[in-house]
Amino acid sequence: MTAPFYKFGYFNDEVSLIVAFVIGIFFGLVLEKSGFGSGRMLAAQFYFTDMRVFKVMFTAIVTAMLGLFYFAWIGFLDLSLVYYGDTYLVPQILGGLILGVGFVVGGYCPGTSAVAVSTGRIDAIFYALGGMFGIFVFGEMFPFITDFFYSTHMGRINIPDLLGINYGLIMLVVILMAIAGFTAAEWAEKMVAKKKVEE
Amino acid sequence: MILQTFANYPPRKRLGLLAVLLGFIAIFAGSPFDRVETKINAKEMSMLSVDEITNVNVEQLADDIIKSKFNFRLIDLRKSDEYAKYNIPSSENIPVDRLLKSDLARNDNILLYSDNDFETAQAWFLLKSNNFKGVSVLKGGLKTWQENILFPTCGCDPNPTKEQQHKHNKLAEISKYFGGSMQTGSVVNSKVDMKMPEIEAPTNIKLKKAKGKKKREGC
Repeated sequence: MTAPFYKFGYFNDEVSLIVAFVIGIFFGLVLEKSGFGSGRMLAAQFYFTDMRVFKVMFTAIVTAMLGLFYFAWIGFLDLSLVYYGDTYLVPQILGGLILGVGFVVGGYCPGTSAVAVSTGRIDAIFYALGGMFGIFVFGEMFPFITDFFYSTHMGRINIPDLLGINYGLIMLVVILMAIAGFTAAEWAEKMVAKKKVEE
Repeated sequence: MILQTFANYPPRKRLGLLAVLLGFIAIFAGSPFDRVETKINAKEMSMLSVDEITNVNVEQLADDIIKSKFNFRLIDLRKSDEYAKYNIPSSENIPVDRLLKSDLARNDNILLYSDNDFETAQAWFLLKSNNFKGVSVLKGGLKTWQENILFPTCGCDPNPTKEQQHKHNKLAEISKYFGGSMQTGSVVNSKVDMKMPEIEAPTNIKLKKAKGKKKREGC
């Protein structure tokens, strides 16, 4: 048996929707439990009062990275069939900036807003409506920005191939970055807490 | 001793150390791409009879091409100069020795053909043992395509029934579509003037290749 199971036809489209539903429920549950469903908790990252979200996020990145690498390495997973999008450099930088501004202003990213809507948070409901309005505006504007949208196309690339660096080395760097990040985050939490007590 | 110290660390430190260790090992592990290999079970493979190879009839293929219902990647296994002389419309040329270096994906629907049955079987075996899923073989290969589609021989009755006449007309239409022609008379005579159509001959065929229908995925 080789993964990705869906791409190898181990189950059909209907079953894939059920699988997606089950994974989605658990994904939402984990997000909610880790505090991603609260705009305050997400905003706390920027004030260094509670770095839980940052730590969960980076842990997830490292876990997924190591999992994908070793599953592929032992031949269980065909990595060439795992989808990641093509790179359109300039449009994606601009898109990332817009998303980032929305994140800071609204307190959610699209996924976490869905989680927060499901627990009935009013701010998240407004955020989601705004998101849908944004989708509508984008769709209407699309004919005028099509050229820009498809510009600076670089194809399906990744950092190790682009720079010609060993995959494992990039992974080790990311892991060390995560550990340094965790240490720094906890130090910042303590500092902020101490300051509060002094005040 | 080392293990004992390790076990005494709090869980987060253990996980961190484990991650660093795995990252370090990965440096020497090489590229994670294209590592899917299957161990070939010789006994199992030898039990596979020819019947178990998924076949597609030339008639079915011709029909699918005409109706644009085609959802295979049709692979011509011959050498490129032979391919340049004649090939079945909508095919791609990937000789056997380049098969595993090509851009074929393991979940592609692949249909193989050649003018050499042994070569086709070899390619089928190669792909199957490398865990490619949907691999089929064009039954009879290019030779049958030539005999049944391009230059079908009419074993006609002098007084054909309506049904036979209809069948005859259909065969003639199909062979014309692919740039061939119906052969009349005995099989032996007809082989003399069976010349493959020029590669430009079937110009009216424009097919969307299965490859072009890439689905947009992502979150």
